[in-house]
Amino acid sequence: MSERAARAALTRLAEPGDLRLRGVVSELGAQRVLALLHDEQDVRGVYTDVAQRLRDVDPDRDLRSAGERGIRFVIPGDPEWPATLGDLDRAGSVTDRGGEPLGLWVRGPLDLSEVSHRAVAVVGSRSATTYGAGVAGELAAELAGAGTAVVSGAAFGIDVAAHRGALAGRGPTVAVLACGVDRAYPGAHAGLLDYVSRHGLIVSELPPGCSPTRLRFLSRNRLIAALGQGTVVVEAAVRSGALNTAHWAGRLGRVVMGVPGPVTSAPSVGVHELIRRGEAQLVTTAEHVQELVSPMGQWLTQSPRGAEIATDRLPPAVRQVLDGVPVARAVQDTSIARAAGVSVHECRSALERLRSAGLVERSDRGTWRLRPAEATQSVLVAGASPARRPGEGDPSP
Amino acid sequence: MGVATTRTVTLDGVDGHLVDVQVDLAQGVVKTALVGRADLAIQEARDRCRAAVVNSAYEWPSTRRVTILLSPADLPKRGSHFDLAIAAAVVCAQATTPTPGLRDVVLVGELTLDGRLRAVPGVLPMAMAAAARGVHRMIVPEPHAAEAALIPGMEVVGVRSLRQAVAVLRGEPVPAAPEVAPLALGRVMSWRGDRRTEELDMADVLGMADARYSLEVAAAGGHHMLLSGPKGAGKTTLAERIPGLLPDLPLEESLELTAVYSLAGGLRPGETMVRRPPFRAPHHSATRASVLGGGTGRVRPGEISRAHHGTLFLDEFPLFSTDIVEALREPLESGEVTIARGEEAATFPARAMVVLACNPCPCGDYHPADPGHRCICSEVRRREYRRKLTGPVMDRIDITRHVEPVPPHEAHDPLAVPETTATIRARVSGARLRMRERYAGTPWRLNADVPGPELRSKWPLPEVADRLVDEAVRRGRLTRRGATRVHRLAWTVADLRALTRPGPDEVDVALRLRAGDPLLVASLQTEGGP
Repeated sequence: MSERAARAALTRLAEPGDLRLRGVVSELGAQRVLALLHDEQDVRGVYTDVAQRLRDVDPDRDLRSAGERGIRFVIPGDPEWPATLGDLDRAGSVTDRGGEPLGLWVRGPLDLSEVSHRAVAVVGSRSATTYGAGVAGELAAELAGAGTAVVSGAAFGIDVAAHRGALAGRGPTVAVLACGVDRAYPGAHAGLLDYVSRHGLIVSELPPGCSPTRLRFLSRNRLIAALGQGTVVVEAAVRSGALNTAHWAGRLGRVVMGVPGPVTSAPSVGVHELIRRGEAQLVTTAEHVQELVSPMGQWLTQSPRGAEIATDRLPPAVRQVLDGVPVARAVQDTSIARAAGVSVHECRSALERLRSAGLVERSDRGTWRLRPAEATQSVLVAGASPARRPGEGDPSP
Repeated sequence: MGVATTRTVTLDGVDGHLVDVQVDLAQGVVKTALVGRADLAIQEARDRCRAAVVNSAYEWPSTRRVTILLSPADLPKRGSHFDLAIAAAVVCAQATTPTPGLRDVVLVGELTLDGRLRAVPGVLPMAMAAAARGVHRMIVPEPHAAEAALIPGMEVVGVRSLRQAVAVLRGEPVPAAPEVAPLALGRVMSWRGDRRTEELDMADVLGMADARYSLEVAAAGGHHMLLSGPKGAGKTTLAERIPGLLPDLPLEESLELTAVYSLAGGLRPGETMVRRPPFRAPHHSATRASVLGGGTGRVRPGEISRAHHGTLFLDEFPLFSTDIVEALREPLESGEVTIARGEEAATFPARAMVVLACNPCPCGDYHPADPGHRCICSEVRRREYRRKLTGPVMDRIDITRHVEPVPPHEAHDPLAVPETTATIRARVSGARLRMRERYAGTPWRLNADVPGPELRSKWPLPEVADRLVDEAVRRGRLTRRGATRVHRLAWTVADLRALTRPGPDEVDVALRLRAGDPLLVASLQTEGGP
C-alpha cells in the first residue's frame, strides 16, 4: 500500500488533529502505523478508539471515487503540499487537537501550495452584522484583487462574506471545511461552495462524506490559521469560534489582526478584547493587512494626515503676531505688537511676511487687519492641497 | 306653481353636505336674488344659468322676482357645480305641475351659456356624501358617470346638457346633445410620472442589504423612514421602488384615494378608480400649498393627500422650507391635514408613508471618514443643513437608515441573487393581511397607525422582549416615544415573519432599525440562498 493510500486510510480512521496518531506517524510512517492497527496493536491507545471504523476502511476505493469527482488527496512531500502547515507541529495543542494534518482532501482548480504563499484568513462571527459582513467583503475583495488568497471556513456571517468578497474581487479564495469537501455545510451555502470549487479551493482534513462535529470545527480552525500569513478577525462575540482561529494564529506566529466595530455592538466585543490585550493589531483596510503580512518593507502604507494649512509653515513668532491681529477692525502695528507681546520692530517684519502670505492686509492709513474669511480660505486651499490617496494623480494646482 | 326644490352637494375638503336649492317665483320687483352664503363661483351661476336656460329653449321668468335659496343657509357653499341644480329648479318652478321625485336626486354640473354641461372636480366625494345621507340617485356630467357609480347602490345618469337633465327628471325621451369634454386639469407638482415607478424592480438594486430590509419593513407597516447618505448612494433608487412593494389598495382605501384625486382633478381620462398606492415626490422648491393643500380659490388637496395610502417621498428634505417642515407635523401624527382659511376649513386625508432623504451636507459629498472626500461645504453650513433633521418631524420617524454607494465587491458579487419586487411584495401583502385581521373592528389598518397606549394595552410585547426595550431606555439609547416606535416596528417584523407575536429577536431588529444600527446578517436571511 502506498504512503498516500495509508494516509488516506488514517484520515478515515482517526479524528482530525489527533496528536497521538500524528506522533506515531512521524515516528514510524503512515504505512507501518496502518499495518500495526490492522494487526490490532493498540498504538498509544489509538486502536481502541478506531477499532469500530477499521473494518470499513478501503483507501483505494476512497481515492478512486474521490478522483472521479475531481477531489485529490494531497500529502506532505507533494509539490502541492503547503510547507507552512509544518508549523502546526510546533504549535502545541488545544483541547488535545493539533499537529500537521496527515493529508488534505482538495477540490478546485488552484494549486494549494502556490495559493498559501500569499494568503490571509478572514474569519468572524456567524451572528455577524451587515457592518461586519460589509467590511469583511471589502477587505476580502481588495486582498484577493491584489492576489492574496482569502482563507475562511464557509460558515454563515463573516466567512461567507469573505468568500464572496474574494470571488467578487476575482481573486483566489480557499474554503476550509470541517466535513468532507463533497458536502455542502451549511446547506444554504451549496451554491457558494459549488462556485468556490470551480474558481477557488475547498480543503478538508476529513475524507469525502464525513459530517461536521463541534470538535472537528475546532481542529479545522488550526488549518485556517496555518494556511495564511495572518488572520483577520472581523466580528467575534465573546465565545466565537473565530477567537479560536485567532488563538491558533497567535500560536503559529502568524499576524493576528482585528477590525474594530462600535463599542456598543455585541458581535465586536471579542475583537475589541483581542486588541485590548495586545493579541491583535488593529486594521481597518486591506492596505493595513497587506503591510502586516508582507515581508518587512515591501508594503508601506501612508498614515492619514490632516490637510496642511498655510499657517503650519510659519515660525511661531510670526504666528504669535497673526493671533494678535484683530478680526474685524484694522489697527496700528503698535497695538498689534502690544497684543502679541513682541517688539514693534519684530511685529512689523512679521506683518510684512504675513501680508506676502496673503493672510493680513494693510489699509492706506497704515492699519492692519485680517483678510476676509473667503479670501483666506482660498489661500489655504491654494497653499496646501489636501492629503490624497496614492494613485489619484497629481494634486491639481 | 312658482316654487321648486332640487338638491346638490357642497364639499368641505372631502366631506360633503347635502344642499337644497329652492327657487321661488313671485310677484314684486323684478330681480334675481341668490341667498345662502354662496361663494363667487355660485354668485356667477345666476348669469350662467339665465343664459343656459334661455339658450336651452326654456323661458327665464324675467317678469317675476326670482329668489334662489341655498339651504342650510348658514353653511358656506363653494363650487361651480351648483349650476345644474339651480337651472333645473328654475325650469321646474315654472311648470304647472310639480316634478315628482325631485328631492330624491342630486344634481351636479356646471353649465355653459348654451346650456351644455361641463365636467367638475369632486364628483366621487359628492356621491359618497349623497349616499351617506340617503340619496341614491344622481344626475352628473357624462364623464363623471362611472366615477359616481363606484358608490354601491348609487343610480347614476350621465347627461350632456340642461335639456337632457330636465328630460331625465321629467321622465321624457332624452334629446341628443354634443359630447362633454372631461376635466383637463394638470398636476400641481410632480417631477416623475406614477407610471414609471411601476416598472422599477428591487432585483436591479445591488447590495444594500440593510436598506432593502428597512424598505420592506417600512412598506409592510407603513412606517415613516429617513434615508441619509451621500449623493449617488441610491436613496432615490430605493424610494422609487416602494410603490411596487405595496399591494393593490382594498376597495375602501381605493375609494378614499379616488375621492382625493377626484377633487384634485388628477384622475386620468378613462380612469375611474385609483387601485395602485400612489407615489408622490414633490421637489424641495414646492410651495406649502402644493405639498399640504390650499391654493387660490378652491382649496385643493396637496401632495401629501394625493399620497394617501401610498408614499410621499421628500428628497433633500433639509432644503424644504421650514414652513412645510413644521406643517408636516400634523399629518404625520393624525393622518389628516386641515387647511384653514378665513372661515373655511377643509380637511383632507393624509395617511401617507413619508420617506425623507437627506445628504450628509448641502453639496452631498461630505464623508467624515474619508479624507479624500470632495465636499466644499463649511462646517457651519453642514450644521445648518442638519438642523432641520431634528425636532418634531424627526421624532415621528420610525426607521433611520444610512446608505453608502454600493462598494465594488457587492456590485460584482457573482453569487448575489437580489430578490424581486414581486417576492418582497408577497411578504408585505402577507404581513398587511395579518395586520388587517388583528385590527379588524378598529379604525387602524397598519401597525404605524395604532396609538401607543392602545398598542401597549391590547398588543403588548412578551416580557422578555419588553425587558430589551426597557434596557435600551434605561441606558439612554431610546426615549419613551422611541420605545413605542420600536414596539410598532417589532410587530411589523413579526408580521413579516408570520409570527403570532414579536419576541426578543424581533425587538432587537426593531431597535436596530430605529437607531440606524447595522442589522444582523441572520435576520435578513430568507429561506435558502447565501
